[in-house]
Amino acid sequence: MEVALKATGINKVFHDAVNLQVLKNVSLEVKTGEFVSIVGKSGCGKSTLLYILSTMDTSYEGQLEINETNVTGKSLNDLARIRNESIGFVFQFHYLLPDFTCLKNVMIPALRLGKLSYKEAEARAYEKLKMFGVEDQALKKANKLSGGQQQRVAIARALINEPTIIMGDEPTGNLDSKNTGIVFDLFQKLTKEFGQTIITVTHDEDFAKRSDRIIEMADGEIKSTGH
Amino acid sequence: MKISVNTEIAFTYLSARKKQTLIASLGVMFGISMFIFMQSLMKGTNDYFEKMSFNSTAHIRLFSENKVADTHILTSYLSDPSVKILTNPKQLVQTQGLTNPYGLIKEIQRNPQIANVTPQVTAEVIYTSGSVQINGNVAGVNIDQEDKMFDLQSNMIAGNLHDLNRVNNGLLIGKGVANKLSLHVGDNITVTSGSGSPTTMRVVGIFATTVKQIDDTKAYANIVQAQNLLGKDRSYVTEIKINLKDYNNAPAVARELETLTAYKAEDWVKANEQLKAAFKIRAIILNSVIGVILLVAGFGIYNILNMTIYEKIKEIAILKAQGFSGPAVTSIFLQQAIYIGLMGGLVGVICGFGITFMVSRIYIGAGTLKYLPMSFYVPHYLEAICFGILTTVAAGFFPARKASKVDPVTIIRG
Repeated sequence: MEVALKATGINKVFHDAVNLQVLKNVSLEVKTGEFVSIVGKSGCGKSTLLYILSTMDTSYEGQLEINETNVTGKSLNDLARIRNESIGFVFQFHYLLPDFTCLKNVMIPALRLGKLSYKEAEARAYEKLKMFGVEDQALKKANKLSGGQQQRVAIARALINEPTIIMGDEPTGNLDSKNTGIVFDLFQKLTKEFGQTIITVTHDEDFAKRSDRIIEMADGEIKSTGH
Repeated sequence: MKISVNTEIAFTYLSARKKQTLIASLGVMFGISMFIFMQSLMKGTNDYFEKMSFNSTAHIRLFSENKVADTHILTSYLSDPSVKILTNPKQLVQTQGLTNPYGLIKEIQRNPQIANVTPQVTAEVIYTSGSVQINGNVAGVNIDQEDKMFDLQSNMIAGNLHDLNRVNNGLLIGKGVANKLSLHVGDNITVTSGSGSPTTMRVVGIFATTVKQIDDTKAYANIVQAQNLLGKDRSYVTEIKINLKDYNNAPAVARELETLTAYKAEDWVKANEQLKAAFKIRAIILNSVIGVILLVAGFGIYNILNMTIYEKIKEIAILKAQGFSGPAVTSIFLQQAIYIGLMGGLVGVICGFGITFMVSRIYIGAGTLKYLPMSFYVPHYLEAICFGILTTVAAGFFPARKASKVDPVTIIRG
């Protein structure tokens, strides 16, 4: 199997009043099509790691490869392009743009990438919304939806460019069990049927247990890679 | 046409905050319309005064200047510095007339920049009607040429200026002269110059300029009549008036004519230095007012964009997380500034035209000035649009740059 993401010797220090090393020589490898959960106590550095893996945080030591290309040291604009094309992000909060309709919210990353025409992007966005059962909300403003619907639209948005890696920072943290179930099933389907890679940080033990692999973190180090 | 996603986001943000967008563009609108109005008023007034000054002044006047005798001929022969020359400089005794004026005119006309040349005889005179006497001066002119150069016709309030050619001893007098001596068209008037004998002339027309001093003293007569008044022969001409095709070249052409004729050539710029100074002062005042207005409009845009960015900082972080690069974010916010500028600018241009048009209909009624002189000069409108866009881009640049530097990690993680 191909390697979707490989991190080698990641160190990160927060220089806040005192120097606090939040990540200590973290190395991990995620294969294409894997569904990986990162678990650990609050403050163990799992979210920090995720933001480094997502290329948004660039102040770290070590090396990061995405889809077998080194991304460490690339310019911010190149990284933005990589995120746009190969990484989908789902946050604990939906973070939809309230001035836009749900459909537009989903379409924006596709329009940014510019590989699809407007019409194609629209069709694709509908298709994604349909996957999560919120296509009937497509033309509503994002702030008019319920929390569960908003999060589903946000996940649809993360998938629009069919990224190889989907990252979630507590993607189900604000959802009830029913919605969590829907999201989990879809994540599983994405890995099994479409070969997409999913890396999530979660507190939800049930969610973690059902994923392919659990990476356990404590005090900025990886305790178990789940292999 | 394919609209870029940045543009689409910019538009959505603008239309989601209609009130603020409107207020920001109103600011620009006021700036632009004031800019146009002020520029139109300034150019209109300047053009008016320039034209007024050309109604009485030629672009270049060629005349013989009184000279004081100097010693330069002697000094060049006496190179020994120990020899001192004592002189008593006196005004040279010479006639006021130009030598061979018609020869000069022919010579001057060869210059391709020159549009019109006309000779004039000026006579200091005393007008007498009944027992009242007033001082004045008579300009002996070729009235057709004079009209062509100075648009005398527009100043006429009674009579016909071309009667000067038909009536042997005709005279056009200023309104002030006519009032003081209670003269009407067809009346007789006695004119006496210092060197000639009293001559009875007939008023064929009355004119009024905006300058009271001219109206109170000046009269036009045929050049031959003026020569008769002074008791001079037909070749006596005191000055030659020259109009150019482009009056801005006057200083340069005046220098040429001075070397060509050895007479004094005074251009209109020198003769109207106070006019030029007034133009400059007006320009400074108006430009600073316009500058302040545009500055205020710019600050309005700056403020509104800054507030937008503060409010939307999470959304900006999300856009960046989804792969919008710094330049893309800059483009989103700069575009908002530009659209505010364009909108305000466009409406401002229309309003500016409207205000200018309405003001140009305000009745003033001072002298020959009936309405406020406003110019409708297309480059002003283009300048206004350029300035408007420049201001908005400058005002939008800093907030947009700030937005592009938002660090998504800090914002999303809180």
